Amino acid sequence: MFCVKAEVEETLKRIQSQKGVQAIIIVNAEGIPVKTTLDNSSTVQYAGLIHQLVMKARSTVRDIDPQNDLTFLRVRSKKNEIMIAPDKDYFLIVIQNPTE
Amino acid sequence: MPVRTAKQMKPTLKVTKSRTPNQSTSGVLRVNQSATNTRSVNSSVHRKSFTLAGDSKVLDKGSVQTHKQTVQVFDETGKDVTPQPLYQPEAGALQPKQSKIFTNHDTSGSTLSDFLSTAYQTTNASFAAPFTRSVFGSSSVSRSSQSTMESMNDEIEDPSSKKDISLSLSDVQVRREEIKEQIKEHMLDCMVDCYLTETETIWLLDMPALSVSMDSEEAEVVKGRNMAYQELCKNRLGNDKYMERPMQTFNGAPKAKEVQSDSISMVEKATMATHWDIYDSYVSDGGAGNAADGASPTKLDISTLHRVHSSRPLDRTMSGASAISTASTSSSRIDTEAFVVQGENESDPEDVLHSEKFLQDLLVMERAVLENIYQPKLAAYRQLPILPDPNREQKAGDERDGQDDVSLNPALERLWAFNCELTMGRNVSNMAWNKKNPDLLAVGYGQFDFKDQKSGLVCCWSLKNPTWPERIFHCESGVTALDFSTCSPSQLAVGMHDGSIAIYNVQSTEKTPVIDSSDCAHKHTGPVWQVRWVENEHGPGGEDKRETLISVSADGRISKWFLRKGLDGIDLMKLKRMRSVRKHLGVKERKIEALISRHASGLCFHFHNNDSNIYLVGTEDGLIHKCSCSYNEQFLGTYTAHIGPVYKITWSPLCPDVFLSCSADWTIQLWRQDLFTPILGFTSTHKAVHDIEWSPRWATVFGAVNEGRLEIWDLGSSILDPIIVSMARPGVKLTSLLFATQTDCVLVGDSGGQVSVYKLKNLNAGEGKEVNTLHDIIRSTLASQL
Repeated sequence: MFCVKAEVEETLKRIQSQKGVQAIIIVNAEGIPVKTTLDNSSTVQYAGLIHQLVMKARSTVRDIDPQNDLTFLRVRSKKNEIMIAPDKDYFLIVIQNPTE
Repeated sequence: MPVRTAKQMKPTLKVTKSRTPNQSTSGVLRVNQSATNTRSVNSSVHRKSFTLAGDSKVLDKGSVQTHKQTVQVFDETGKDVTPQPLYQPEAGALQPKQSKIFTNHDTSGSTLSDFLSTAYQTTNASFAAPFTRSVFGSSSVSRSSQSTMESMNDEIEDPSSKKDISLSLSDVQVRREEIKEQIKEHMLDCMVDCYLTETETIWLLDMPALSVSMDSEEAEVVKGRNMAYQELCKNRLGNDKYMERPMQTFNGAPKAKEVQSDSISMVEKATMATHWDIYDSYVSDGGAGNAADGASPTKLDISTLHRVHSSRPLDRTMSGASAISTASTSSSRIDTEAFVVQGENESDPEDVLHSEKFLQDLLVMERAVLENIYQPKLAAYRQLPILPDPNREQKAGDERDGQDDVSLNPALERLWAFNCELTMGRNVSNMAWNKKNPDLLAVGYGQFDFKDQKSGLVCCWSLKNPTWPERIFHCESGVTALDFSTCSPSQLAVGMHDGSIAIYNVQSTEKTPVIDSSDCAHKHTGPVWQVRWVENEHGPGGEDKRETLISVSADGRISKWFLRKGLDGIDLMKLKRMRSVRKHLGVKERKIEALISRHASGLCFHFHNNDSNIYLVGTEDGLIHKCSCSYNEQFLGTYTAHIGPVYKITWSPLCPDVFLSCSADWTIQLWRQDLFTPILGFTSTHKAVHDIEWSPRWATVFGAVNEGRLEIWDLGSSILDPIIVSMARPGVKLTSLLFATQTDCVLVGDSGGQVSVYKLKNLNAGEGKEVNTLHDIIRSTLASQL
């Protein structure tokens, strides 16, 4: 267990240090940001909005085939890309601008 | 039948209305209603009673509209005896009642007849109620009945009901105002048609007669009863026992009472029965039996999504919704502030974050992030067209300029480098592709020299993540040899500087080898310079291809290893020194031989591609021996040309008989299997050539790495010079080379710990595999030599 925790921390650091990564937000099942590298208000805003989007996306995927489930969601916009890894216990959100 | 009436008093008249509403009322109304009432009520008809004109339209209008107008009643003498209303009711109080009654009045005459008949039967007909009165409707009726009412005041003592009736009467009269107005004097004398029809019989009591046969037993009893009854009927008249007596029912006074209840709080509940929601409930209920609601009650959320406020829901749909809502409750701002209080539970969400699943997601995310960064490079690697980023505006001009300069000369383009802080400073000794997954690369790090030996490292890199290896294995001593197995693609054999061989399973995240040869008695005593998994084509009994692990090491032995309980090896060959070759060294050699060992160090070997029995061994002495697995004492042949240790031998993958060898004597030699002298030799610089490899795509192309630079040779273009030369970074030496199997890329490892990936550009060695070209070159060379 412990080594998983250490690996998690390490991986988070690595992602943070990659080129163009603006923020990492981890939101738990109730919608509360647990870990974030962004300021509080933006974090809360992202958490709320992305939560709704993921619910809709997951609902769409599962409506088509209930045995299927959403594993990854990427939203590419002009300025950056939001990557979301949803799970039933948490959301992992990374915002990156690769063309910095 | 129509009845002509003109103010006639008819004692008995059953007044009926025809069915059709339009006509009926008129007929009724024209009858001198007062006559009917005199029967039942002793009223003196002292009023002038006039019939209504009875236009249908009048009545209809009257029935529809209810508005008050002044009513005037005149008696015979013309006096205004309009009764004043005792009580002004509210406008809306009695109207609905009245309107209903009017419609009744329109539709059936039966009601009227009923009421009239009841009027006959009861002495106080008027108390058939305000309804009766209103049903009568006609002014004369009402008026006369009003008179009867008043006359009956003495008899009946019920002020409240009187009041009621009177007020209703007044209302009725008010409502009937319209009809009355239109009655003119001249119309009184005109003949009016009345239609009398029989209405339905209304059964109030139906006692069917029961007949008994005369012969039965009960006949007597029945007869007796009948007789008794007849007696009774006779005796009834005049008998004191039977008296007619009126009864009056008291109508209770209505009273308004107000009740107030607690305000009913409204809660909105909504649930979405989506396709997957139903599926989830079905699956979870089918599995668990009870509704899947073990979750704690969720908070009521006032967000626009209308989440379900659930505390122990029992419905299926509710439970499904609650499962969703617990899994993904809303994240409204209200909630976030409320949860600040929840301090103790913070450890729980953190723990979830350190689960395996989270680590997986993190790795995927890392790869996604890196893909964004390295996308053009990876696209170049895969030989996909590199699409320009549509969001990049400023640099477009520069890039286009850069692209125009590209010449058509063959060149190398550096794509990226596998590098991380772990590997910095380590010497890349060996690289190998995974046989099953061509994107997985194993790199071994270990020093070549005997001095400055560090612990070794094996990293498995994936193309998807050039910044951090997927697997890291720390070894005790420097890694000098690596190979992936073909039959079980997750097995990686590692040979080390201390002579031990370990096999790792790269699928698991275990940091320790699956098996190790350190306990083996036959383990190598010198650094293992090469390991290979060799397939045996003919397994016993025609089984699938089996593999054996074969290694060569500096102690002069070529060993074959078995994966039994431990790693056990037997020697395929012991490399002896060949005195005959080294004649010119003569004296020195004998001395060395006596002192050190009788075995020559093997540095490399390569099994023949098609025949797994034959292999070539390169030694430290510069000799290349051709050996066979069947003979472990003698060589089949020896190729002599090199003066320094032979670092690498490699059979051509496309030409079966041709092989290359490189050595520390700055040369690369091209051989054919049947000739014991080289066909061609290549020299470019005065540096030892550490590694060579044939290109998997063209038979005439191979790459070479010497200490300072990477060279790509194309024999079809030039046999004297390499066509592409790339210098190493200052300060590092290039040590190993690997061609990518499916693309035109070359990986170069250096002593700084980096593995750089280069793409071969504009290298047109030919359309096909150029095997014939190679053969032609060889033939022409041989011909020229002769």
